[in-house]
Amino acid sequence: MSQLPIISNFQGDFLLQLVLGDSEGTINSLAEAAAYHSVGRRVAPQPGKVIRVRRQGETGFYKPDAKVSDTDIKAMDCLEFVFSDPDKK
Amino acid sequence: MTILDRSEWYDIARETNWTPTFVTEEELFPEVMTGGLGVTRDKWEKYDEPYKTSYPEYVKIQREKDAGAYSVKAALERNKLFETADPGWISILKSHYGGLALGEYAAMSAEARMTRFGPAPGMRNMATFGMLDENRHTQLQLYFPHEHCSKDRQFDWAVKAYHTNEWAAIATRRMVDDLFLGRDAISIAIMLTFAFETGFTNMQFLGLSSDAAEVGDYTFSSLISSIQTDESRHAQIGGPALEVLIANGKKAEAERMVYQGIAGAWRLFCVLTGPSMDYNTPLAHRKHSFKEFMQEWIIGQFERSLIDLGLDLPWYWDKLVAEFDYMHHAYQLGLWYWRPTIWWNPAAGVTPDERDWLEEKYPGWNDTFGKCWDVIIENVVAGRMDKTYPETLPILCNMSQLPICAIPGNGWNVKDYPLEYQGRTYHFNSEIDRWMFQQSPERYRDHMSLVDRLLAGQIQPPDIGGILKYMNIAPGECGDDAHKYAWADAYRVNPFSKSAA
Ligand SMILES: [Fe+2]
Ligand SMILES: [Fe+2]
Repeated sequence: MSQLPIISNFQGDFLLQLVLGDSEGTINSLAEAAAYHSVGRRVAPQPGKVIRVRRQGETGFYKPDAKVSDTDIKAMDCLEFVFSDPDKK
Repeated sequence: MTILDRSEWYDIARETNWTPTFVTEEELFPEVMTGGLGVTRDKWEKYDEPYKTSYPEYVKIQREKDAGAYSVKAALERNKLFETADPGWISILKSHYGGLALGEYAAMSAEARMTRFGPAPGMRNMATFGMLDENRHTQLQLYFPHEHCSKDRQFDWAVKAYHTNEWAAIATRRMVDDLFLGRDAISIAIMLTFAFETGFTNMQFLGLSSDAAEVGDYTFSSLISSIQTDESRHAQIGGPALEVLIANGKKAEAERMVYQGIAGAWRLFCVLTGPSMDYNTPLAHRKHSFKEFMQEWIIGQFERSLIDLGLDLPWYWDKLVAEFDYMHHAYQLGLWYWRPTIWWNPAAGVTPDERDWLEEKYPGWNDTFGKCWDVIIENVVAGRMDKTYPETLPILCNMSQLPICAIPGNGWNVKDYPLEYQGRTYHFNSEIDRWMFQQSPERYRDHMSLVDRLLAGQIQPPDIGGILKYMNIAPGECGDDAHKYAWADAYRVNPFSKSAA
């Protein structure tokens, strides 16, 4: 595992936070790491939804099972974590 | 012997200037210290301060003011306010003293710079009194909290805060360094006295003074209103300096300094005064909301004084005014959630009645900030306290050093305002903070936020324990909920209702 600090902008939360992700993990695991610091703390869980990840300013999401190091995500990039329907791409 | 009336000699005394012969004018008033922007000495001599006083008059009045403040304190020392006041109010005192006492000391240095390097005789005269004022403010605000130290060591932060790496202290110190200490005399006249003091000190020193009287804290009320009478005098140093600059073709430069001063001052008062008024002051004693005070003083009065001087409103005015609705609510969430990292005990301020008040003053509060508080309240009621404490750091703005935050819940608009500069990416809270950086990047570029320091390995071990140690927060000083979560009882009766039962 290799630690990758990113900036989490989690939907419904009030601030940006430092989140340590794993560059060898998937986008999904990065979303879980971000959710840990927001959901159930200041953001209500949304059962049945998944959390998708996109770069600030983009509309397209990263593929959930992509390996983080295979994407263009770099240390301290600001990423948005957004609740979404499971089937929606 | 007949003593002349002040008006008969004042102008001659004030206009007495000297022509240097051993050194040049430029050596006596170097541009880097004076900041006269090339306006010549004869033009600066037109500087006309609106408030005129002599040294004997000054001393007489100040002596009376000091005697007043100290005697109120002495008379009320045994009235047990400390034991009986709402804990939220006590928190206001702690945040006030820690955040401002040594800021006054920095303001004294700034006034001293105008005393020595101000290009106009009248400015140097006014600033001499201003320097003495700020010394008085420092001493008062170090002395008054001292009586509480034996009961509550968080009060020790009146002296301690500025000497630590606590995050709110870094933010305050950064602003003070930028606007008070690290500027030339003319910039200080504009940024500190005109923007910071005319514009904003009313908020904390008059607004809170009336709340203090409501609460029954007459010691604090008389202290800060006594201070404000000095502020309203020496704040007048900046206006005539602006008039000279505008009359000599320097309007654009003058405006730029005003805009930077307002931007810097707003962040400090937003994080300090905003939560004090709208969350920590007990509901029954709130006279106005923070927004109402801002509308009265910033839009009603300060905007008027900009226009009267012939200045254009800042390009960011609408954005700043929009922040009156949300920015301090976001800071409050940050202060409360990260409470172990501050030197006072923040009140949550979200009982059902308080939420009704917030909703009335800030329509939509429940649908935005209330959404975050709903989750927090559920956790407190269910005893999941671990979920009410942070396990990471906020991203701090590379200008204000405060968390980058905005509106949560259904109005979610949180956003990073990044900037690439010489290979480093900086993160800002708003376009205003980013613009501030761009005005003189070389001034700000090397500063590292607490998050930058953590990532650079300067904070060891890199966990909450290491961070608290780095912030110099000793055991017994960590903030916690002001009311020990008693406010959550209202939700235990009927956890499904957000309105008072
Ligand atoms: Fe002062
Ligand atoms: Fe002042």
